[in-house]
Amino acid sequence: MKTITEFMAADHVACDNEFARAEEAALANNWSVAETAFIKFRDDMAHHFKMEEEVLFPTLKSAGGPAGPVHVMLMEHAQIKELLKQMAEAVAQKNAKSYGGLSETLLIVMQQHNHKEENILYGMADDILANEREALLERMQAV
Amino acid sequence: MKIASLSPDQAPPIGVPLRFFAMAPVFLVLAALLLATGDGNPFANTHSPALLAATHCITLGFMAMVMLGAIQQVVPVIIGSQMPSPRLVAWLTMLPLTAGAILLTTGFALSKPELLNLSWPLLGLAFLIFISASLFSLARAAAKNPTRTAILLSILSLAGAVTLGMLMARGYATGLSIPYASLATAHISLALGGGVMLLIIGVSYQVVPMFQLTPNYPKWLTTYLAPAILVALLLSLIPVLFEPAPRWPELIAEIIFWILTSCYAVITLKLQSQRRRRVPDATLSFFRLGMLALIAAALFSLASLLPTAYSDHLRMLSVLTFLLGFAMSVIQGMLYKIIPFLVWFHLFRGGVNAIKVGIPNMKEIIPERWMWWHLKLHVGTLLAVLLATRLDMAAWLVTLGLLLQGILLGCAIFTGISVYRDTLGRIEQAST
Repeated sequence: MKTITEFMAADHVACDNEFARAEEAALANNWSVAETAFIKFRDDMAHHFKMEEEVLFPTLKSAGGPAGPVHVMLMEHAQIKELLKQMAEAVAQKNAKSYGGLSETLLIVMQQHNHKEENILYGMADDILANEREALLERMQAV
Repeated sequence: MKIASLSPDQAPPIGVPLRFFAMAPVFLVLAALLLATGDGNPFANTHSPALLAATHCITLGFMAMVMLGAIQQVVPVIIGSQMPSPRLVAWLTMLPLTAGAILLTTGFALSKPELLNLSWPLLGLAFLIFISASLFSLARAAAKNPTRTAILLSILSLAGAVTLGMLMARGYATGLSIPYASLATAHISLALGGGVMLLIIGVSYQVVPMFQLTPNYPKWLTTYLAPAILVALLLSLIPVLFEPAPRWPELIAEIIFWILTSCYAVITLKLQSQRRRRVPDATLSFFRLGMLALIAAALFSLASLLPTAYSDHLRMLSVLTFLLGFAMSVIQGMLYKIIPFLVWFHLFRGGVNAIKVGIPNMKEIIPERWMWWHLKLHVGTLLAVLLATRLDMAAWLVTLGLLLQGILLGCAIFTGISVYRDTLGRIEQAST
């Protein structure tokens, strides 16, 4: 059975792939592809955040996990959501320059965030929630 | 596992790294001026005062300046352990480093022992404070990752290089009778092969996959490479410090050192070729140029080990290619990524008002076309470097290239800082 770290890290990779596809198409002014890829990326990110915000983080907190790191992750989610909102506007306006600048910014914010989750927070969750992991992963997938 | 490393305030104030970054280009300009005012072709003679002065301008004033600023930013963020009193440490390292580097380089250029004698205590103070603060911070970090190990080994090598450098500066100034040639070899090896090489390797483990979505470096490499490089380096220095000794262990250790560093360069290029993000990026191009230059430096050094008449010439080319080609390319590429990100990151902390007034994205902070101009200028300078030891004209082109690069990078950094100040002003206005 997969650990929480393995499951969520694989989801990060899937989101990264969507990110790269959308960015490449937008910078090439290939807007039909860019729009589809961006919407897929944004929806996948929204689903990933939902798994964390509605299931993983509350479960971790109620099992006695530390509140501080979860709070930091939520702050970074807010940063990422704001950037995604601005990127959606750039897609609507077919503005490659603006999209490129925003995606460059998002990439670093997102990678730092993923790095912290994969190296610290998910590991913590794997330890604290070891007994209920299977049920937890099912609930996350069902979101 | 380290919970503290998720603290939101782990990053130091933006002024800490930026004051180092803003000072660094001044020394590129100074290096160019020192080369221009030297007698004849300064690259033709490895002991020319102008070359010695310009080299220290670049290594201390530019490279160490950026690296000290970057370590004070990177250690808290990547390793998750804050530096003690970040603002105070920044001032107490930046000011004596600046003053010491100016005194040392002018002391070399003008052959004034009294300036050298003033420089080494200042440089010693700057590095003592920096190294103590970094070691304190690294020792506190519970997270034991390969980047932490590489940075730790880099700082220890730097401590050795600085100690030898201080000893030689004092020796020159007071006429001490010490084995300068051997000490200089050990000083250069520890500074470049240890301090610079290991820091860049440690940071690469994090930023190469992060910036371009490449696969991670293989685990065997991140675990063993940095310690193996340092061991090879130290073994190559044993005969230098304990003469007389047979030469073959030194040769084998040096060959191993260059094979290991080339291995890092080749694997980095391979990872970058597998990147999932395939859009043009100036930092990536600077980084790849740096890796190619590192391989060239290795080939020049390995060729210099053969008993030919070109040995000294090849060694000189290896040092120049390592310094200007490898280290300077990577450092400049990183600056073009780090500065825009820091400006954006610190402005975003302005919260709701920041979003209301609109924060510039990373490509609106330093114009991207400047970065591409800089890359071309840098490639041109490097090509001139390859001929500078033989052709006076090429030496002039290197001087001009360094001058223009210093000016361009300075303009880029000050543009970034003014975008930060202007936007911060608007955010503060919106909140009143």
